[in-house]
Amino acid sequence: MIQIIIKETKEFLRDKSNIFFFFIFPVMLVFLLGNLLANLDKAEEVIGEVRIHYGIEGISDIDFVTVKEFIKGLEDRKNFFFNETDDIASSIDLATDGGIDAVVLFKNDPMEIQIYEGTNRIKNRTVNSIMNGFTQLNKAVDIIIKNNKQALIDQPNYESDYIMHKDLGIKRTMLDYYAITMMTMMCFMSIMIGAICFMGERQEKTIIRLRIAPISRVKLFFGKILGLLPQTLLQILILMVFSSLLFGAHYALNLFDNIHLFFMFTVISFTMISLGAVYGLYIDVNPMAGILPVLWLMMFFSGTYSKEIVIEGLSKYLPIYQVQEAAFDLTIFGRHQKANTVIIVCLIISLAALVFGAMGFLRKEEK
Amino acid sequence: MSYVAVENLVKKYGDITAVDHLSFTVSKGEIFGLLGPNGAGKSTTLNIITTLTDFDKGKVTVDGLDIREHKAEIKRLIGMVPQDIAIYDHLNALENVKFFASLYGYGKSDLTRNAMEALEFVGLSDKIKVKPKQMSGGMRRRLNIACGIAHKPKLIVLDEPTVGVDAQSREHILNSIRLLRDRGATVIYTSHYMQEVEQICDRISIIDKGQLIACGTETELVSMVTDVQTVFIKTKIPINFEKETFEKKIKLMPGVKGISEEDSVIKLDISVEQNNIGHIIQEFINFGLPIISIKSELPSLDTLFLTLTGRELR
Repeated sequence: MIQIIIKETKEFLRDKSNIFFFFIFPVMLVFLLGNLLANLDKAEEVIGEVRIHYGIEGISDIDFVTVKEFIKGLEDRKNFFFNETDDIASSIDLATDGGIDAVVLFKNDPMEIQIYEGTNRIKNRTVNSIMNGFTQLNKAVDIIIKNNKQALIDQPNYESDYIMHKDLGIKRTMLDYYAITMMTMMCFMSIMIGAICFMGERQEKTIIRLRIAPISRVKLFFGKILGLLPQTLLQILILMVFSSLLFGAHYALNLFDNIHLFFMFTVISFTMISLGAVYGLYIDVNPMAGILPVLWLMMFFSGTYSKEIVIEGLSKYLPIYQVQEAAFDLTIFGRHQKANTVIIVCLIISLAALVFGAMGFLRKEEK
Repeated sequence: MSYVAVENLVKKYGDITAVDHLSFTVSKGEIFGLLGPNGAGKSTTLNIITTLTDFDKGKVTVDGLDIREHKAEIKRLIGMVPQDIAIYDHLNALENVKFFASLYGYGKSDLTRNAMEALEFVGLSDKIKVKPKQMSGGMRRRLNIACGIAHKPKLIVLDEPTVGVDAQSREHILNSIRLLRDRGATVIYTSHYMQEVEQICDRISIIDKGQLIACGTETELVSMVTDVQTVFIKTKIPINFEKETFEKKIKLMPGVKGISEEDSVIKLDISVEQNNIGHIIQEFINFGLPIISIKSELPSLDTLFLTLTGRELR
């Protein structure tokens, strides 16, 4: 089996196209995308100060307290300025003229919120977002009142606990974003290597010699799969080292987290290789036609190429999105849970794929 | 003593019977030729003997071992040189041979030694660092052989090993096969080239539609076709000769099995029973062809094959 692993490694590394597509190309992509799309990270506009007049009419006592607490919380942020008014009509005129940014009326029981927008589109969106947030909060309060009113009364002030500024330590750029997404892309592309590893033997006819040899087919199968692991490790290592040393991309903040990240990507690659091998054994469709389009679509809608392209209700369920999220969680926040989940799931999938693939290889008779 | 024994072998692919109750033996230390037209069942038979394919009925033994019960041991005895060149383009010659030999359990030092011996045997000892894509077709064929014999197998199966090679490489390959036999290996050899089979095989079998139709030495086989003789008539063909009309006329004559022409020598396969040579010569005269010389020969393997299968080998 060792000889098969060595042979696979030699074959892979001596193929110039592999060197380009699996080592050089991803490094180039990190550099190109990270620099060309660096402006995606910058906001198009600055919100600035937001001035709001608000009125309160006929709301319940609890709603009154909720509204006041909410407004106070916003005012503490220093860029929101609220003035209570009795003359809503004049305030509306002022908003229309651009003197203030919006008028908000809290009225009736159950409470309704009416927003009268100003002339600034960005500030209008901001006010709408804030009020949406308030509505959700209000609903939560209503539910607690109905089910456990005492909890509201006993509630300590968590403000200083649940709002906590985290010092992320480094200023992150789009280069960091693409370092992770391109790494994810290469790991998922490993499925192609797995798919063609047996197809290659069939095309070169060397599968005949392998099947005649007195080596157990299970060993042969695992030897082929494991033989692809060294180049996978090398690929991940090269991408991490080159993108951080040459281009200044940042991964995790400490060595342990980076090792964890490296391990996660290695496991993902191995899983994709195993799945690719199963594809190559069972499905007779060229993987370029069968796998690549699906992969491209998943990457596209997972934000691999642009963080703007995310579809509500779909993207977050895609495996590539999940992996990227786990990687960002680990690198930016030092949180390991999602990464560990990815690793465990991948190991289970790998095991199933390897068993299924070995069975298929054992039974398959050369035509 | 039989080294390989095939008894009543049957292999079906759905409704198609690829091998139909085939039986033959291969003696130890002989070169056994397996001939047949395309689709005769040669490749299927070879795949069964080399354990690539299972079979439906019958029995196959190699060195006394039943192929179904002793598959792993039999695999160690067999070396296969497939028709398609089966080597890795990104490994050099030595790496290719070493890799395939390593599958048979050789240690590191034995591997290098065996690989070098195999490469020397096929005349590639000066090309050990060369990759297959930098080799000629003949060299690639020789490397293909080296990969199949590096582990010193007792039974070597060669499936058309000289396809697409130049005459020099072909001669080298045929000599190598003789040498393998002389060193004690048993060889099963298939080819479409009759001259090769005549040259090196000790015994020849002809199969068609999955069945054995003849088996024996060349002399034994040819003696099966005693009702046909080949006559060579040297003549002088004039310019504007109506060759097609002439050949058509001769072919229609009773007893004529075949006619061909090369360098003004007309070759005729004529039935011995309906010896019509007198009338044939008369036709030559009628067409204005002078008779310079006439020669008769025993039937060739080509003739035998055509007679037995009713088809050209290619």
